[in-house]
Amino acid sequence: MRIQTLSPQLANQIAAGEVVERPASVVKELVENSLDAGAQRIQIDLEEGGAKLIRVRDDGGGIHRDDLVLALSRHATSKIREFDDLVAVATLGFRGEALPSIGSVSRTTLSSRQADSDTGWTLRCEGDEPSAAPEPCPHPVGTTVEVRDLFFNTPARRKFMRTEKTEYSHVEELLRRVALSRLSMELTLRHNGKVTQHWPAAGAPELWEKRLEKICGEHFVSNALYVDWEASGMRLWGWVGLPAVARSQGDLQYFYVNGRMVRDKLISAAVRRGYQDVMYQGRQPAFVLFLEMAPQDVDVNVHPTKHEVRFRESRMVHDFLFRSLYKALADQRQGFAPVIGAGASSTMPREERAPQGVVGPVEQTAFNLGWTTGESRSAYVTPRPEIFETRPRAETPELSGTVAPPAATPSGAAESPLLGFALGQLHGVYILAQNASGLVLVDMHAAHERITYERMKASWLGEGIAAQMLLLPVSVRVSESEAQLAEEHDAMLNALGFECSPLGPDTLVVRQVPALLQDADAAALLRDVLADLRMYGGSDRLRESINDVLANMACHCSVRANRQLTLGEMNELLRDMERTERSGQCNHGRPTWVQLSMEQLDKLFLRGR
Amino acid sequence: MRFSVAREKLVRPITLATSVVEKKQTKPILANVLVALKDGQLSFTGTDMEIEVVVRSSAVDGQDGAVTLPGKKLFDICRALPDDAQIDLTVDNDRAILRSGRSRFVLSTLPVHDFPNVQDIAEIASVELPQNVLRKCLEKTQFAMAQQDVRFYLNGLLLELAGGYLRTVATDGHRLALCDHKIRSNIKENQQVIVPRKGVSELFRLLEDSDKPVSITVATNHIRVLTEDVTFTTKLVDGRFPDYQRVIPQGGDKEILVDRDALRQAVNRASILSNERYRSLRVVLNPGSIKVIANNPENEEAEEEVPVSYDGEKLEVGFNATYLGDALNAITEPTVLLTLSDPNSCALLQGEGNSSAKFVVMPMRI
Repeated sequence: MRIQTLSPQLANQIAAGEVVERPASVVKELVENSLDAGAQRIQIDLEEGGAKLIRVRDDGGGIHRDDLVLALSRHATSKIREFDDLVAVATLGFRGEALPSIGSVSRTTLSSRQADSDTGWTLRCEGDEPSAAPEPCPHPVGTTVEVRDLFFNTPARRKFMRTEKTEYSHVEELLRRVALSRLSMELTLRHNGKVTQHWPAAGAPELWEKRLEKICGEHFVSNALYVDWEASGMRLWGWVGLPAVARSQGDLQYFYVNGRMVRDKLISAAVRRGYQDVMYQGRQPAFVLFLEMAPQDVDVNVHPTKHEVRFRESRMVHDFLFRSLYKALADQRQGFAPVIGAGASSTMPREERAPQGVVGPVEQTAFNLGWTTGESRSAYVTPRPEIFETRPRAETPELSGTVAPPAATPSGAAESPLLGFALGQLHGVYILAQNASGLVLVDMHAAHERITYERMKASWLGEGIAAQMLLLPVSVRVSESEAQLAEEHDAMLNALGFECSPLGPDTLVVRQVPALLQDADAAALLRDVLADLRMYGGSDRLRESINDVLANMACHCSVRANRQLTLGEMNELLRDMERTERSGQCNHGRPTWVQLSMEQLDKLFLRGR
Repeated sequence: MRFSVAREKLVRPITLATSVVEKKQTKPILANVLVALKDGQLSFTGTDMEIEVVVRSSAVDGQDGAVTLPGKKLFDICRALPDDAQIDLTVDNDRAILRSGRSRFVLSTLPVHDFPNVQDIAEIASVELPQNVLRKCLEKTQFAMAQQDVRFYLNGLLLELAGGYLRTVATDGHRLALCDHKIRSNIKENQQVIVPRKGVSELFRLLEDSDKPVSITVATNHIRVLTEDVTFTTKLVDGRFPDYQRVIPQGGDKEILVDRDALRQAVNRASILSNERYRSLRVVLNPGSIKVIANNPENEEAEEEVPVSYDGEKLEVGFNATYLGDALNAITEPTVLLTLSDPNSCALLQGEGNSSAKFVVMPMRI
C-alpha cells in the first residue's frame, strides 16, 4: 500500500474518537465553549439521553457570521493565536478540534448572533463538508449548537452507547461538575422536554453552600470545612469533608485547576496524604477544591480530554496541597453530633426527620448515619467562647453522691472547656461528660490513643533521628534512573536516617536505616521510596512508615477499655484532647467523641412538644 | 499395644517430643505424638514437618505396638499426675486408655500410618563430639539470629563443620555472634549448613550440659543430631549465609579491657532510661574510664561510669543497649576485651584471652 494523506473527513473522525466518546463528551465540549465565550446562562436540552438531540444554548459573545464556517473546520480557534498563548492557556479549550470532530459524526447546526449584529446566522453540517454559506435566522445574542443523531455515520460508536438513562446520568454528572466550578452561572438541563436540573446563579458567597448542598448533599455541607489558602502564587479554596463523611468510593471528589475539572495522580496523592492519620482504613475523602495558579505554570496540553495536567513545579504544588489540607485537618478537634432516630438518611432534609426517632431506640453509630447541624462545622472553625459563658462545672449535677472536684481546672475561671467536665464512666468504655451544649460521650481508648500518638510524634521529631547502621548492608537492584534519583535525594534520605550508596550503575546498598524501622524490610522500603520520588518528586514514605510504628506503639501504650478512671483522670484526658491536634479521630480515623445536645436529648423525651 | 511405666520415666521424653508440636494445626495428625513400643523400647515422636524429634525411654514391659495420641493433652496429664505415679496405657481399637492409680483417661487416637516421618536422609558428613561443646556453641550465638527477616537465611544459625573445628555463627544484620570449638573429625571438605531458628531452640533444649557424646550428621537437606536417647532431625534453610568473615573487624586500634560484670550491669541500668523503642546508648570512652549514657524522650538521663584499662584517644559511639547487653551476657570470662576504631565502625567484643567466641555490634547514629 502507498502512503497518502487522509481525507479531512476521516481525520476529523479519528480526532472525534479521542474527544467524542458519548453524549456527555459532546456536552462537555459545547458547554466549555460556552464558558469560554463568557456565558452567564447556559441551557442544555437532551432528547433520548442525547442520542437524538443535544442542544446547548448560551448567552455568550457569539460568533461572527464570517467565522461560522471556520468554526466547523479543523484547527481553527479564536482562543489562541501563537505559541506564547499555548503555554499560558486561560481558556478551557484551545485545540480547535471539538466542533469539527462533533460535526463529523453528527448532524450539527450552529446558530449565533453577536451583540452588534442585527440578525443571527445559522450553518448546517451533516457529517461531511459543511454547507456552503450561513443563512440568516432569528437568534438572541449568544450561540446555540444543535447536535442531532450523534454517531449516525459511525455505527461502531453507536453500538457503544448505553441506555438512555445511563447516558443521561453521565451528562448530569458532568453538568454537576460544571455547576460547581462556576458558582455564579445559571445552568438548566432539560431532558425530553422536561426541566430535570436547574442551578440558579449563586454568585454571592452566602449562596455557595446552597449550590454545594444541592450537588453534594446536606450531609457533606454540614461536615465540611471551608478553606482558603494562598501561598507562592497559588490559591487553594473550597470545601474539605471531615473524615467522618469519608466514603467507601471516591465519588465525591471534585478538584479544579483554574476552573478545569481534573483527575490527576499527583493531586490525589497529595490529598490522600493530607488525610493521612485521620482517615479510616480504606475510606475515600470527600472534597470540592479549587486550585488557582498562573496559567503558565500548568500545562493542560497533555491529553485531548484534558483530564490530566502537568505542573511545572509539581513538587511545590504537591507540598502546597498536602500542607494546606494536613493543617486544616490537624486543627480539627471537633466531635460529631449524631442523628437521633433510626432511618434518618443523610440526604433527607432536616425538617422531615424529626419525630419518628423519638419512639425508636437511640441510634448513634459512628459513621454511616448523617451528622446533624450546620453548627458543628462553624463551632470548631472558630471555637466560640460566648456559648460557654456559664461555667457548667458549678452546676454539675452530682451523679454518684460525692463528685471529686476536677483535678485539672483550667486557670481562667471564665474559660469553660470545649469538652466540659466528666460525670462518670459507662461500662468502662466511654466517658460521659457535660459541656455547655449538652452531653459528651468519649471513647476513652480511642481518645487516649490519639493523644499518645501525637505526643510520640512530637517527641520523635524533637529528639533527632537515631539510626541503626547495618552490619550486613542490604544491596538492592534498581534501575539506573532510580539509582540516580537516590543520589539526587541523598540529603533528604540522610536527614531521616536512611543511608544508601551506589554499588555499580544499577545496585544500591543500604548502609543505615532509621532506628525505628530497623526491623523493617529495608529493600522494599527503599524501592517504595524511589517509586514515590519518581512519581511525585518527593517521598514521605519513610516518615509514614515511622508514623505507623509510632501509631502501633501508641495503641499499646494507651488505656484499654475496662480500666476504671477517677473523675480527675477523666478530666485530665478531656483537657488533653482539647490540646491535641486531630483529636477528633483516633489513629485509625474512628471518631473519638460525640456530642448529644440538649435539644437532641429533649427530643428523645418529647420535652417542649 | 499395652505398657506400664513409672511417670518419672515419661516426663522428659514427652516434654521433648511435644515441644516441637505447634499449638495450632491445619493437619490434625500433627497435633499428635507417635508412641511406639518395640522390643521393649518405648519411643515418642513429635514433628511439625520441618523438625522431627524421636525420644527413647528406658525399657519397659508390655506388648509391642504403636499409636498416635494428642500431644498436648498427654503432656498435661503426665505432668499433673503425682511424682511417684505408675502409668498404664492400653490401646483398644481407636481409643487409648491411660490409667494411673484411681485416675482414668480415654484419649482419641489417629492412624499411625498417617503420621509423617522424615524420609531417609542422604548423609554427607558426620562428626562426634561432647554434648556440652555443641550446647555451648549454640548458647553463645543463638541470641543473634534474626526473627522473621525477609532475608530468610538470617532466620537461622550457620553451622560449619570442618576438619579441626565446629563453628556456629548467627546475625540479624545489625550484630553478629560467632563461636568456634576445636573438635576431632575426619571431615575433608568444609560443610556449611543453616539450621532454622526453631530447630536451633529445640535442639538446644534437648542437649545436656555433660560430656556425653553427640553425633551430628549433615545431609543434603537435613541435619540429624543423635544423642543417647534422642534423634533430632531438622530441615535446613536453603540459602547462602553471608560472608561473616568480612564483617568481623580487623585492626581496631582502640583496645579496652573492662570488667564484664561491671560493664554489663552499667549497660543494664542505663538502658532503663533509654528510648523504649530502640534503646540507644551513648558509650563515651576516655582514658581510664568508659561512660554509658542514656537519654529518653522524657529528657531523663542515666550515666554510668566503669573503670577500664585504656589510655588512647577519646571516642564516642552509639549502641543499641540490647545488642551490647546480649553480647556481654554471652561472654563467660571475667574480663572483656572491647575493640573499637571509630564511631562508624563496628565494635568487637571478646572474652579476655579467648578468641574462639567473637561478638560484633554495629553502632547507632544518635
